[in-house]
Amino acid sequence: MVCIRRATVDDLLAMQACNLMCLPENYQMKYYLYHILSWPQLLYVAEDYNGRIVGYVLAKMEEESNECHGHITSLAVLRTHRKLGLATKLMTAAQAAMEQVYGAEYVSLHVRRSNRAAFNLYTETLGYQINDVEAKYYADGEDAYDMRKNLKGKQIHQHHSAGHAHHHHGGGCCSADAKPVETTTQAEATSSK
Amino acid sequence: MASKFGLAGGIPERRVRPIWDAIDSRQFKNALKLLTSLLSKYPKSPYALALKALIHERMGKPDEALTVCLDAKELLYKDDSSLMDDLTLSTLQIVFQRLDHLDLATGCYAHACGRFPNNLELMMGLFNCYVREYSFVKQQQTAIKMYKLAGEERFLLWAVCSIQLQVLCDKSGEKLLLLAEGLLKKHIASHSMHEPEALMVYISLLEQQSKYNDALQVLSGNLGSLLVIEVDKLRIQGRLLARARDYSAAVDVYKKILELSPDDWECFLQYLGCLFEDDSVWKLFDDTDQIHPIKNIECKFSHLTEEMFDSRISSASELVQKLQRDTENSNLRGPHLAAIEIEKRKFLYGKKNESELLKSLLQYFLKFGHLACYASDVEAFLQVLPPHKKAEFVGMLVKNADSVSESATVVLGQTTTILKVQELTGNIFELPLGEIEASTVKLAKLYCQNLPLSKDLDPQESMFGEELLSLISNMLVQLFWRTRDFCYLAEAIMVLEFGLSIRGHVWQYKILLLHIYSYIGALPLAFQRYKALDVKNILTETVSHHILRQMLESPMWVDLSNLLQDYLKFMDDHLKESADLTFLAYRHRNYSKVIEFVLFKQRLQQSNQYEAVRVEASLLQLKQSADSIEEEERVLENLKSGVQLVELSNEMGSRTLRFNEDMETRPWWTPCPEKNYLLGSFEDFSYCPKENVNKDREENVRRAIQRKSLVPRMIYLSIQCSATALKESLETNGSGGDIKTCVELKSLLEEYTKTLGSSLSDAVDMITEISQGARPSESLGSDLVDWLNFAVFWNAWSLSSQEHWHVLNLLFEKLILDRIKSMGSSDMSSCYSDVQVLVQIITEPLAWHGLVIQACTRSSLPSGKKKKKAQHSDHLPSSPMSQAIKDSIHSLCSTVQEVSNWLLNQINNPEDDQVEKFLSTLKRNEDAGGPGQVLGVLESFITSSEESEVGSRIFEALKTWSKEDSARKTVMAQQSVLREFLQICESKKKLLEKLKQQMSHV
Repeated sequence: MVCIRRATVDDLLAMQACNLMCLPENYQMKYYLYHILSWPQLLYVAEDYNGRIVGYVLAKMEEESNECHGHITSLAVLRTHRKLGLATKLMTAAQAAMEQVYGAEYVSLHVRRSNRAAFNLYTETLGYQINDVEAKYYADGEDAYDMRKNLKGKQIHQHHSAGHAHHHHGGGCCSADAKPVETTTQAEATSSK
Repeated sequence: MASKFGLAGGIPERRVRPIWDAIDSRQFKNALKLLTSLLSKYPKSPYALALKALIHERMGKPDEALTVCLDAKELLYKDDSSLMDDLTLSTLQIVFQRLDHLDLATGCYAHACGRFPNNLELMMGLFNCYVREYSFVKQQQTAIKMYKLAGEERFLLWAVCSIQLQVLCDKSGEKLLLLAEGLLKKHIASHSMHEPEALMVYISLLEQQSKYNDALQVLSGNLGSLLVIEVDKLRIQGRLLARARDYSAAVDVYKKILELSPDDWECFLQYLGCLFEDDSVWKLFDDTDQIHPIKNIECKFSHLTEEMFDSRISSASELVQKLQRDTENSNLRGPHLAAIEIEKRKFLYGKKNESELLKSLLQYFLKFGHLACYASDVEAFLQVLPPHKKAEFVGMLVKNADSVSESATVVLGQTTTILKVQELTGNIFELPLGEIEASTVKLAKLYCQNLPLSKDLDPQESMFGEELLSLISNMLVQLFWRTRDFCYLAEAIMVLEFGLSIRGHVWQYKILLLHIYSYIGALPLAFQRYKALDVKNILTETVSHHILRQMLESPMWVDLSNLLQDYLKFMDDHLKESADLTFLAYRHRNYSKVIEFVLFKQRLQQSNQYEAVRVEASLLQLKQSADSIEEEERVLENLKSGVQLVELSNEMGSRTLRFNEDMETRPWWTPCPEKNYLLGSFEDFSYCPKENVNKDREENVRRAIQRKSLVPRMIYLSIQCSATALKESLETNGSGGDIKTCVELKSLLEEYTKTLGSSLSDAVDMITEISQGARPSESLGSDLVDWLNFAVFWNAWSLSSQEHWHVLNLLFEKLILDRIKSMGSSDMSSCYSDVQVLVQIITEPLAWHGLVIQACTRSSLPSGKKKKKAQHSDHLPSSPMSQAIKDSIHSLCSTVQEVSNWLLNQINNPEDDQVEKFLSTLKRNEDAGGPGQVLGVLESFITSSEESEVGSRIFEALKTWSKEDSARKTVMAQQSVLREFLQICESKKKLLEKLKQQMSHV
């Protein structure tokens, strides 16, 4: 670990630098901001001994379904810092926050079929199971495993979903203009070109 | 109120829905058709009009959109019975925002709130408007009203956030914090508090006022249970105790955290800070300006007696030993690194324990030395060692690594680590050439031997020994620097290109190649490598420094323009849209993020690069249009005659500049864009770590922006002065230009020279003496182009002086011909820095001077009617000034011709010959040592490798890689730069010829 701590908005600079060295992602910056401004409790960074960000996890809560659940959007660890258990720790921290802060019942994620290293991490170390296969989920046509893990769902704090209903053309903060969820999930963190 | 069930702005939903659908699917024409029929039924509906405006705006008709919007607004204001719902207002808001008229949107909401003072929805809309405008005071007032109306906790916190923002951003109203505190206290007393984020705001509010003990009380009270994650709570408690200087209590809290989470390094440093009652550790965490924090923390001990120090350090040792025991079976590095930290503190205290410190570093090496993170883990510790101890440590590593005969991956990892430590300590620059060379060969062999280990890895996985190639290339570049033998540089290119063909994603290879290609003038390839890094979004702010400067000094205007535009688009868009996201945080009640995010926006807004690029983008347009004075005038008109940039220049002195660039990824020879050690000699070099380069840059960057942002205005004024000068000189034989323009130009000249560190009169002496050969041109230093710019504008200010014209001609001649002479017949690879200077001279000062001449010449022609030119000019007698212009044109012509000749000479050299020459440098005599050995190792490996050994993917890559390809690409890239430059020179020549002809009649 080093220090697994909550991400701040300023960390964004180093987090994206992490992508440069790690995996090319196609996320818009808005997408990161959307996460950190909406579910700041679910973003963790791994900070190394010299203060450098060497990994991060980006996650969100799915609000529309009946069952309240979390979703891991992106997980990245620098190549120089792999095999140190950082990914596991980042995931554990995010999962714990989903459960404790938001009372999530389960957590889901997508992983490329070909990404064996990540698949092993999720199944063997973290206890995820395949829920479904999503054909041609990624922009390049590769399939994704839709994976899930049950959480205890112990609800400590009432999570407040967006305070008032917005007409979908209304405000522009969470609606039409900034709705990156649909447009960018295709470019999952696990891709590489 | 209006928007009742099924009604949208008073219109049935079913009638509006198809219009929105059409807009969403970008069928604007269809949307407009539907809307026209809707308007016929509801001609006075502000909502229908707002929709019409939205469609116009989306269709790219901003003027129509604004007119319709204003009509809708008027209806809203006028008609008391008119429907005033959030939907209408928010639709208008969207359009006004897109038209850059936030104030009008705010006005509508404010009006609506005035009419319906108890409508929460409208007030929320108004609050949102103020968020968009960053009007913190208005935000506060609106939120308080909402709180009073609804009594909800969140509105109170919106108000408190707005207060905190006033204090943080506007640096005002500290007393307001007390008000906020009072409001919160009162609310808690009657309603308690329900959200963790609200508690965080409360605590931060108390911290902002240094009321640490109050904050501690809140945390330990009932409200503390809002924080469900125990470690989070302890961290806050520890911080508050430390800030309250209750160090012994803080130590206990930090101990508790470390027991729960033994690898928490930040916590360990804070623990030590509290143990030694030393608050310097907080500086480390407070300094958010650097993208990577400062590695070396200061330590204060002077307030401790030796006895105190000893007892405290021994209790720290005990804790660390316990943590090590507790985590024995895990591979946590923290507790082991903590042991080194303790030895470092002893050393800094003056305990003379160097050998223990080295021993602890060695212990760490034996445990973790094979990991890629070892070197960066220990960097901060190595920095405190004196040079001879660093060297001793490297020796210890070499000795101990050799004695270990473990698995191949461990040996590989340790070898890589040792080299990285040598780089970090600067030890590598002290080795004799032969040793470095031998080392590169050894590493190349190691790389090849270990390729089979990576046989089964996924292509996106990191390869074994991947870093070796970067290390080899770094050493080869050093060998080039010390011997000036180009072969080493060519070899470095080959090594990295070879690496990329095996693993295409390795960013280190791309960055190193980018900088080598830039150095030898193969800029299109450098740019290609840069693009392969896939730099976008916020990375344009942190990473584009790798290529930006080289592009600015190149003739590759199309790519440069794209680079600048992409960056500006990202920044402008973000600054424009970020306020919408701020409201998202308010809505999700993530108050601390509201504050962070607004400060983050400020950080980007104050970016030094953002300011610089805005100026450069204007300058680029001016450079591109300089061959036609009419086009240039159009560009200047768009730039408001340079007035705004002058304002920027004036403000620059007092502006906060932020440095968000990530300099750590730069290669050793160019730690920041302004520095390149390869341009100097090895003998003058003293190794300094890359840390904090941004701090040193600040003053230079500030001055450069100040200086450059004066240029557009000076061009404008020079043209104005010249426009009348010749005519006047012909008529009255006096000095030209209108007085006001001249006065302004003079004052800008003074400003300009100030940024060059000189007074106006000294600057004039300087250029005059250089033109006469009384001073060497080297005294202009790296600001040579800026000095020439000065000379051009100075001449434009005093056109009637023939002597000034003469000085300027001589300067151009001298500075350009000096460069051509020094370049001689050497090829581009060894003289690109001279080419860069020439490009700048031709495209900046010489282009501006060309404009001055164009303006003078134009004024001598009858306006608009060229046919009458001959007739007209018959009437004009020749004057000393027209003679000066003619001389200047003549001089420039022949000088530019010299540049063209040099370029042609290079370009006419057949490509095959150049490729052959490039490759021949890599051939070496058998057993003779020298460059080419590394490539030899790689080539023989390629021929001998087998598919079964390295796997099909790597095998394929090995077989398809060709050094001939790399050589040819390099040569072609260099040629294309030369051709671009030649084109610019030819165009200048054409212009000068045309002017010569025009002047021949005068």
